[in-house]
Amino acid sequence: MSLLQIDQLRVTFQTRHGAVTALDGVSLSLNAGETLAVVGESGCGKSITALSVMGLISSPPGRIAGGAVRLAGEDLTHASEARLRAVRGAEVAMIFQEPMTSLNPVLTVGDQIAEAILLHQDMTRSEAWTQAVALLDRVGIPSAAARAKDYPHQLSGGMRQRVMIAMAVSCRPKVLIADEPTTALDVTVQAQIFDLLNEMQRDFGVAIMLITHDMGAVSEMADRVAVMYAGRVIESGAADDVLDAARHPYTRGLIGCIPSVDHGGALAEIPGVVPPLHLLGAGCAFAERCAHVREGCRLARPELQGGAHSVACFGAQEGWV
Amino acid sequence: MTSFLIRRLVYGALLMLGVVVLNFLLIRMAPGDPAVVIAGEMGGASEEMLAAIRQDYGLTEPLIVQLGIYLGNVLRGDLGQSFFFNQSVVSLIAQRIGPTILLVLSAQVLSIVIGTALGVLAARKPSGLLSGLVSVFATIGYAVPVFWTGIMLIILFASVLPVFPVEGMASIKLRDAPWIIRAADIAHHLVLPAFTLAIIYLAQYARLSRASMMEVLGADYIRTARAKGTPERTVLFHHALRNAALPILTVAGLQFGNLISGALLVETVFNWPGMGRLAFDSILRRDYPTIMGVLFFASAMVVVANILTDLSYRLADPRLRGGA
Repeated sequence: MSLLQIDQLRVTFQTRHGAVTALDGVSLSLNAGETLAVVGESGCGKSITALSVMGLISSPPGRIAGGAVRLAGEDLTHASEARLRAVRGAEVAMIFQEPMTSLNPVLTVGDQIAEAILLHQDMTRSEAWTQAVALLDRVGIPSAAARAKDYPHQLSGGMRQRVMIAMAVSCRPKVLIADEPTTALDVTVQAQIFDLLNEMQRDFGVAIMLITHDMGAVSEMADRVAVMYAGRVIESGAADDVLDAARHPYTRGLIGCIPSVDHGGALAEIPGVVPPLHLLGAGCAFAERCAHVREGCRLARPELQGGAHSVACFGAQEGWV
Repeated sequence: MTSFLIRRLVYGALLMLGVVVLNFLLIRMAPGDPAVVIAGEMGGASEEMLAAIRQDYGLTEPLIVQLGIYLGNVLRGDLGQSFFFNQSVVSLIAQRIGPTILLVLSAQVLSIVIGTALGVLAARKPSGLLSGLVSVFATIGYAVPVFWTGIMLIILFASVLPVFPVEGMASIKLRDAPWIIRAADIAHHLVLPAFTLAIIYLAQYARLSRASMMEVLGADYIRTARAKGTPERTVLFHHALRNAALPILTVAGLQFGNLISGALLVETVFNWPGMGRLAFDSILRRDYPTIMGVLFFASAMVVVANILTDLSYRLADPRLRGGA
């Protein structure tokens, strides 16, 4: 059994256009100690998936309309708020995209880490502070004892993301969800953060769900990949398989967008944009942007099929893509 | 921090100097003989009195020398003599500044604490019943003039529901009671004037803190706090309110001047023996030295309040500390 099992999760949002389905039957699984990359463009439902696991979908307007999120067998979608609070931070922790705004500007970083420790562990304030300083040191922040008394605005973006990571691993969670942890950072700092995440995984044995739109990050970090499009998983499999032999035209497009040194000329792009969720028809959501589209693609929606390396595309399933 | 404080104190002193010069010019710009103006137009100023005033203020000297004499007087703590009350302006104000400070601070605390609490509660459910009530109450409280609120409260509590005294600051029959009973008596008298003065600002802070809290509650760091399992109450009061309080602090500092001018009306309506009443009485009697004295002390209170606001702002927001 997987450590974290998301089963046919449906999340809807009440909008001016009526209820839209942000997640439409998303299934993912994360095993202990592995890294699963969830890939897709903005608005495809990656972050909503992460927030649903944490029970942090703001409701209203959001609502989990169906499916289950099982952590070691326990369905979190039906857990009480008190139980969810006990899970958050202690068993499932999260790192966010924007280190600039994700830390509270009026509290010292040491206090913010110590708070997480005090919430879930039986410690005195000074013990928690000592622990916070040790964690800051562990994530590679120089003169950690002094930096712990700093406020977020006194640290660089990379340092703040290290603080976020220290806070996330402070209670030794089983699952760490990293929602585009490097998007806002310089390229050199990105590599450092990925190294740090890998280190944390090795030392703490934490399973990582890495949410990203960067296929480069996938090849560096992931054991397995799930590609999302318009609220559905459209391809999933081992990272090497998906990167080397992508089956869905969208996944191939994403991989084609990776800039490479020896490949000159213009960058490849996928034409068009993700359609607004309230305008999705009955067919494949990618049909409008797909170079291989056939009549049948617009009539019915392909299901995710195919075992270990599965795909939701008629063309790939029938062999004409 | 120390250099900041010193700089603010120097600015404050310069500002007070400006107020004093303005005071001086106001009297000189008034039509007629300044000596008559200063003596007050009660028609009772004798020739000897006017001569004494001319002597005191150096009114026969050039303007710049007069300013020098006036500044010297102020520095020595001499703001002139009220001929109507027949005592020095400083001693007049000394008797009345206490009740005014008590009233203004009570109203300030009342409006900030209750207003912010209402705003925070409303922000938790922006489309809920309480949120709607707060909005309606805030609009009404904002629109209604302070003297009208006062009169309505007097009518309510004088005849319909006589729970709170509607006049004065202390009961004469308790004059010789132990201090704790007298303090309770003053607090009892304070309720209506303080609430009357507070209500418009209370409404304003409720609106402001509701908007500010709603903005802060959508911030990324609130999501971070929730993601580490922080209980909702801690999220609201520890993580959100400390950030949402910053604009409230700013407005509270700016409003302090308005609060003092509001106190003038409230003190008059409730017969509260403070500086506002004194200002009202001396305006009616054209008692210029007293009016100027009240102006001087009211300005001083605003300057002090602004320095305190700046200080508290720096305490609340670490981004403003250090450096600049």
